[in-house]
Amino acid sequence: MNIIDKFGSLVGREALQDPKKARQLLLAGYRLQEARLLLASDKALPTSGRYAARIVMKNIIQALAKPENAAMVSIFVPGELLTAANLTPYSVEALSCFMAGTKCEQSFLRKTEEEGFPETMCSYHRVFLGAALTGLLPKPKCMVYTNLACDGNMMTFPYLRDTHGIPGFYIDVPYEKNQESIQYVAGQLREMKHFLEEMTGKSISEEAVQRAVNNSKKAAANYQQQLALRKTHDLSTTLTNELYAIFMCHLLSGSEKAVKYTQLLLDDVKKAPRAEGLHVLWMHIMPFLQEPVKEVFNYSKNIHISACDFVADGFQEMHSLDPYEAMAEKMVNCIYNGAVDQRIQLAEQLAKQTGADGGILFAHWGCKGTIGASSLIKASLEKAGLPTMILDGDGCNPANTSDGQVSTRLQAFMEMLEKGKEEHHL
Amino acid sequence: MIHYVCKYTPLELFHGFGESCAILEEMPENFDLSDQIAHANLCGFGKSVIQAVLEGKADQLILVNCCDSMRRVYDIIKNTGKCRFLYLLDLPHEDNECEKVKFAASLRRLKEAYEKFSGKAFDKTRFLDAFSGPASESRPYIGVLGVRVSGVLEKMIRDHISMEVDNFTCTGSRHLAVSPDELQSQDENVMFLAYADALLRQIPCFRMNSRSQRTKLYLDPNLKGIIYHTIKFCDYYGFEYASIKKDIKVPLLKIETDFTSQSAGQLLTRIEAFSETIEGSQDMNPGKGISKEARKKMESGIYYVAGIDSGSTSTDVVILDQDGAIKSTMIIPTGGGAMMSAEKSLELAVEKAGIKKEEIVRIVTTGYGRAYIDSGDDSITEITCHAKGAHYLNPNVRTVIDIGGQDIKAISIDENGAVKNFLMNDKCAAGTGRFLEMMARTLGLSLEEMSKKGLEWKENIVISSMCTVFAESEVVSLVAQNKDVADIIHGLNVSVASKVGALAARLGKNNPGEYMMTGGVAKNQGITKALEEKLGAPLYICDKAQLCGALGAALFAFEKCKEGR
Repeated sequence: MNIIDKFGSLVGREALQDPKKARQLLLAGYRLQEARLLLASDKALPTSGRYAARIVMKNIIQALAKPENAAMVSIFVPGELLTAANLTPYSVEALSCFMAGTKCEQSFLRKTEEEGFPETMCSYHRVFLGAALTGLLPKPKCMVYTNLACDGNMMTFPYLRDTHGIPGFYIDVPYEKNQESIQYVAGQLREMKHFLEEMTGKSISEEAVQRAVNNSKKAAANYQQQLALRKTHDLSTTLTNELYAIFMCHLLSGSEKAVKYTQLLLDDVKKAPRAEGLHVLWMHIMPFLQEPVKEVFNYSKNIHISACDFVADGFQEMHSLDPYEAMAEKMVNCIYNGAVDQRIQLAEQLAKQTGADGGILFAHWGCKGTIGASSLIKASLEKAGLPTMILDGDGCNPANTSDGQVSTRLQAFMEMLEKGKEEHHL
Repeated sequence: MIHYVCKYTPLELFHGFGESCAILEEMPENFDLSDQIAHANLCGFGKSVIQAVLEGKADQLILVNCCDSMRRVYDIIKNTGKCRFLYLLDLPHEDNECEKVKFAASLRRLKEAYEKFSGKAFDKTRFLDAFSGPASESRPYIGVLGVRVSGVLEKMIRDHISMEVDNFTCTGSRHLAVSPDELQSQDENVMFLAYADALLRQIPCFRMNSRSQRTKLYLDPNLKGIIYHTIKFCDYYGFEYASIKKDIKVPLLKIETDFTSQSAGQLLTRIEAFSETIEGSQDMNPGKGISKEARKKMESGIYYVAGIDSGSTSTDVVILDQDGAIKSTMIIPTGGGAMMSAEKSLELAVEKAGIKKEEIVRIVTTGYGRAYIDSGDDSITEITCHAKGAHYLNPNVRTVIDIGGQDIKAISIDENGAVKNFLMNDKCAAGTGRFLEMMARTLGLSLEEMSKKGLEWKENIVISSMCTVFAESEVVSLVAQNKDVADIIHGLNVSVASKVGALAARLGKNNPGEYMMTGGVAKNQGITKALEEKLGAPLYICDKAQLCGALGAALFAFEKCKEGR
């Protein structure tokens, strides 16, 4: 057992006995990691990556240490309004990733199993729910959630709202993508502002909302600019870093930090060496803990994730001048909303824009939306000339996946892409 | 014919076009066609819809935006081009005013789409004629809750429960609280708003944001028991079950299928056991009373009864005398069919007892093979029999944990040995005797060797996978890393114990009284030790543990004779 395994099993055990103590232990570990990131950051990472690692760590620490100033949210809730309300957002996915990163997820998964919650449910939700049930997660100021992208939200949030007495706000995003839907969501976001004012007891100025939305627009512009350079520039990075980008475009959207991140990213890409390696379009969330995937992508000079649809969608351009409509536009037009067509279109566009040699769709265990769409996405992308692999796995529960299987599939796919690239050059 | 899958579908609207509607909820034998175009981990119901469309069973289909799976099923079916009319109705998650207006607009868009497709005109009179009358009066009933049941499963439930059965799942008990007379005078705008309101005001399904109305479903005083159905990979109802089970005061049975007809067929034991729980569990089959002939034999004062437990691995027999004392027992491997093994095991037990087969006045059968044995006078499920047998062996036992060849059961029993509640694993092999056999084979050991060797462990190895295939590959890689076999076995034992412990915990942690372990795996010391640690309580294991089911069956036969006497 290495030190992280030992730490994780200690936190997991303690969570069942004395959850408050377990939380302090976890926080101590995270603070240590934060100090390490500050004093001895990973020099192999690009500047933007080191910055993101620090910011995200700080965010999680704040959420756990000062719950009275934190909001439990689902990942697609507009971060701009939370930024304007000065609340620290933490999502199911973010927290579960950290739990899994600290190797204490199994205790929480077992807790949900004991309570009879389905094992086929998304592991991010199960870890989060387990952590809440043991009492490790402190009670936040409030929760904001939406049906967007994931049924798990419609289970975890109402359940914790009712059982833990957490004041909740729900944003209903219609399936149909039209102006009527945008207006409908915008109306709810205006109500959300009032809800947050009521919760914090502080008024939120319209200027603050506008400023946050403007920040998102700036961040989106920077992100799109760097995307345009990815065809010719190879940035060496890690899966964890790609995951942090999801924090930046959703949870922290609207913040100055997100803008700074995209500026640094743009600079990094500009400085990155000329593209010669394999380009992979990554679709959906990253299994950042899985060894065989890390071996292929982390710090690689030859294989690069040139774009990820989840991140690119999160940094999509918002057109409306009205800040509420702009946020609503991002939600309604999200690739995870509506029919699968838009998800396919974005993947095709990103592959073309960044010169991807192949695509990997990560079918995360329990994510019914992605699992259901996987065969259509693969077939459509291959029809468009992009070799695509569905990689079945689990983003935060190693029990649902096998390293051996993943390694064989991934290696074989990479060999196939390399061969394809060689032949193309000939 | 228009097919639909959800109670929020506006059926009356289609009657307005002169169309009839039918529920599409057929459990297929397998998903061979669906699996060719959709991911295997899609929920079974979703796959059944795709399968039905590919088999040409539904060419006009209305789906509802109920869950992630259904949204993707729509995408997949649309891509096949096999439906002449396919529509996904956007259903909101709330029933407030804004949502009603939005839903009314969605209904009108559907109406326009159907007008365009069919070229038919909407007839308001026909539409109004389609509304059903007021709901019927309530009477004692068993409620089927959770996710949709249909076909073989619904029939099986109705056939084995003598009380009235009401279906409250996805398409059941559809009732709109609106009178056609009210709608008659309204213009179309107002009428569709009222229609949307009536549809949304039904008892909400679990995917709705506020579900407080759903408590009506399980707190109704006429409700005498609940059969709660979940489908593998349908998380909504698995989640609801976990969140409400503590509040339910009536007997509750959870069943899970993958929405194939075979998976439903495997549930017979549980449904029968549930029926025994709510309708009395004595051996009191009126058609199988004590025959005149048997009574005559009993007059002599010396007679015997037998219980036969026909399991997947072994066939066990217990013979009791007229005073309820054990006369002889027999365990033989099940081979060559349940019937043959039962006869053979009974013959050997008779021989061992030194009695004549004719002196046995009553035989009760139990176990998986019970339905295939002709020689029994009655049959009772192994769940009820295990409880009875455990109580006989140790009256302080309140929880029985049975790990058999192909399943795991946790049964909570009362002070009289009657079943209070029980849980079984699904059809996955995780944690069962078969799982251990597979792992022993991977390690090149016999089960007996594995049982002992696991006790000599030193390093705590964690085996995270319970999936038999994944666990096997974990074991293989641990062997490759030169890990000690004893440590690997201990890791496996702990993982089985946590699976079984979780099942027992779901029954209720604070069950006063002792735990007893039965079934073949009770002989595995490594597992029992790990399980004791997990439960934080000692396990009562006795040398007759494996005979518990047969003993219970024999006890039922004995009690029946005693009554007759």
